[in-house]
Amino acid sequence: MKIAGTAALPFPPERAYDLMQDPVLLAKAIPGCEALEKTGDNEYSLKMKMVLASLSGAFDGKVRLTEPERPHSFRMVVEGSGKIGFMKGDGVLRLTPKGDGGTEVAYDGEAQIGGTMAAVGNRMIDMTARMLIKRFFEKLSVE
Amino acid sequence: MATTVTRIEKLVGKRLRRKEDPRLITGTATYVEDIKRPGMQHAVIVRSPHGAANIKGIDTTKAAALPGVSAIFTGKDITHVGSVVCGADLPGLRKPVHHILAQDRVYFVGHPVAVVVASDRYIAADAADLVEVDYDVTQAVTDPEKALAPGAPAVHPEWPDNTAFLYHQTGGDIDKAFADADVIIKQRITSQRLVPNAMETRGVVAEWLQADRALTLFTSTQIPHLARTILAGQLGIDENRFRLIAPEVGGGFGSKLNVYAEEALMGFITMKINKPVKWIESRRENFQVTIQGRGHVDYFELAAKRDGTMLGLRLKLIQDLGAYHQLLTPAIPTLSVLMMPGLYNFRNIDADVVGVFTNCVPTDAYRGAGRPEATHGIERMVDLLAAELNMDPAAIRFKNFVQPDQFPFPTATGLNYDSGDYGATLQKAMDMIGYDDLRKQQAAARAAGRLMGIGISTYGELCAFGPSPATPAGGWESATVRIEPTGKVTVHTGTSPHGQGQETSFAQIAADELGVPMDDIIVLHGDTAIIPYGIGTFGSRNTAVGGPALYYALQDIKEKVKKFGKMLLDAEEVTFENGVCRDPKTGKEITIQTIAGAAYRAMKLPPDTDPGLVATKFWEPSNFAFPFGAHIIVSEVDRDTGEIAIKRYVAVDDIGNQLNPLLVDGQLHGGAAQGLGQALWEQAVYDDNGQLITGEFMDYCMPRARMMPWIESSHTVTPSPVNPLGVKGVGEAGTIGSTPAMVNSVIDALSTLGVRHIDMPLTNEKIWNLVNGAKA
Repeated sequence: MKIAGTAALPFPPERAYDLMQDPVLLAKAIPGCEALEKTGDNEYSLKMKMVLASLSGAFDGKVRLTEPERPHSFRMVVEGSGKIGFMKGDGVLRLTPKGDGGTEVAYDGEAQIGGTMAAVGNRMIDMTARMLIKRFFEKLSVE
Repeated sequence: MATTVTRIEKLVGKRLRRKEDPRLITGTATYVEDIKRPGMQHAVIVRSPHGAANIKGIDTTKAAALPGVSAIFTGKDITHVGSVVCGADLPGLRKPVHHILAQDRVYFVGHPVAVVVASDRYIAADAADLVEVDYDVTQAVTDPEKALAPGAPAVHPEWPDNTAFLYHQTGGDIDKAFADADVIIKQRITSQRLVPNAMETRGVVAEWLQADRALTLFTSTQIPHLARTILAGQLGIDENRFRLIAPEVGGGFGSKLNVYAEEALMGFITMKINKPVKWIESRRENFQVTIQGRGHVDYFELAAKRDGTMLGLRLKLIQDLGAYHQLLTPAIPTLSVLMMPGLYNFRNIDADVVGVFTNCVPTDAYRGAGRPEATHGIERMVDLLAAELNMDPAAIRFKNFVQPDQFPFPTATGLNYDSGDYGATLQKAMDMIGYDDLRKQQAAARAAGRLMGIGISTYGELCAFGPSPATPAGGWESATVRIEPTGKVTVHTGTSPHGQGQETSFAQIAADELGVPMDDIIVLHGDTAIIPYGIGTFGSRNTAVGGPALYYALQDIKEKVKKFGKMLLDAEEVTFENGVCRDPKTGKEITIQTIAGAAYRAMKLPPDTDPGLVATKFWEPSNFAFPFGAHIIVSEVDRDTGEIAIKRYVAVDDIGNQLNPLLVDGQLHGGAAQGLGQALWEQAVYDDNGQLITGEFMDYCMPRARMMPWIESSHTVTPSPVNPLGVKGVGEAGTIGSTPAMVNSVIDALSTLGVRHIDMPLTNEKIWNLVNGAKA
């Protein structure tokens, strides 16, 4: 499944970039995130609760931030699995300054789900992904 | 002493309610799920969430630590258990070894990886979640045409072309047919994967009695005896110490004409832990791991003369087999090839079949098994030819039908059609629906801008499976009749009815032959410890093969009854009618009940006659039977919503003699519902990674009562010459006839917009896009 879109953050690109690399803030902004711990250079372990249609369950996963080009772009790879299945996401986030002093974040990537989530939640996954991304940027905006 | 004759009226042919229904509708029937054994454990299976992956490791430590867990098994524990059996064979067939638990890799979502056994089902499910499997995910392929493309991921590394087999069949002179043709019609036609969705999912209870070295296994199956033979081989136990019971079975539709990994796995577990074990398939598992049906991509080419005479048919058939072979997987598309000539009088065919591995659950027999795919293709091609030649689709069928004086009719595919009058069924259907008038109404509707369609399908079917040489495991059937000392009658059938109603129709046959009340007869089946070996239920064979076996067993027992009657009446000759032996000279009579008592008391025996009244017959049919029919559907498409309304549905089916028309209606209605399901709504969809994304009823559209049209059903009756009952088989007819009639009707409705063909299912979205695309 392709995931692409844009979001606006009310900060200049440098600050927006740093926010998205800060594990404390990421933990607050990622919907359902229960723990995010640094496990290596730009690598974090993640515990989150995922709700999809009639399913909900805990996910253990990891997040890797690679190809850093501060403040222009970076790549994020997320992998997680739990009782209700697994998910994988891989995408590039590009930051462009906007006239109003803010930043436009353009994201473009691929996501894959499997297990029970794929079997019973597929029709919801696209909308759910959009909603989670929207919430993520909304939370970051108020930092 | 004269007795009164109590009943002369025959029961065969009457619309009788089913004897099996009271227990079903009061919820007192016993399904596998209802069976409980002392100390019984519960199994839950850990399954692959990936379409293709290598297994790097399995860690069961956490799961094993959960209180209540009694055992966990993985692939390394079951290497001595036989792999899943494929009963079909084709020249050069590649058969992957499919172990009952995965070894070093998985190749479809749902592939069993480990099994957790616990004191209750919920503990087992929780523990299954704690089993950690480390997968190295590899690329999957789920589309059969993509799987054939060079460079596609290999489902099995040893066969990088993903080709399980190539099968070619030809008849007549296909090159000449195409050389002589004025018109050649080409079309790619798909028959999408369908989920059989029996109301009862699969389930197994297995119990090993160590002291007797005996296994009892309850399983929801259509083939108890064959399953026992196969499972005994897999488990390495003696067949006679293995009692397999199919209790009440809540539907199968072919999905239980199989022997699955879980059946052997439960046998293995109970022998290992020395306790009974139960596994009940969840609905989600049923979607993912029970076989699916259809899965064809067909390329048809039809050669014809300009006057509408069909000359020959070419087919390239791509069968999506899935990841490995279940019992009959590779054989199903060969049935499509057999049915290629349909009801038509052309004798040139050529079929190239390629069986393709994909990272999906296997396909196998699903109601119709190969024949619906073929019939849909042929009936679409006939309509395409009619459209090309601007002929009426009924007229082109009349022109090409095999005529009544041509029977027995040898087809280009090697079948021998036994009997029929194909024109008569179509004519009757057209008369019932008022065809000529309908075409006028359609012209008026079109003039008013409405999208009205009339669709015809004239189908033939190959059923009553079948002569033994044409089947993988014998095509005969067995029956035993036991007249008890009181004259009550117990019938054993080797078939395994699970909704078809033979407890009723077989009692009707026995009641008529023996002259005893229906209520004095019970029909038993599905228990290998009680019933002589039988083949089982599939291919519309219960009545058409099991029925004659019973009929002949009844003839044998009647002979014995007459011998006792003659002795007891001290007569030279006796007649036997309506349960009474009569000496025509003296008029003296004696009832079957009295005779039964005397046969078991055995104070005196007729010459060369043993005590008791039991007869067993194994009956071998000399040919298949060939039902046929004509279905016509009138539909209207809503331009604004893409919705399809079925306005009328007329079905005229010739299934030979009917033992119980109520049962016939039930079979035809259910079959039509499944056929319309394929035409309009149902589709198993896999994504590119092998995830089944239509894995529950929210995403997989099943036909419901409110979506069904009223079916105006009628019949012609051409008794089958193959068996003494003149019956042909009706289990699959509705599924085969309905689908192309529906699709032809909608395409006829849209033909004014230039629509020539649409692949199933005809969803509202697809139709709306066609209608509105055509507008633009």
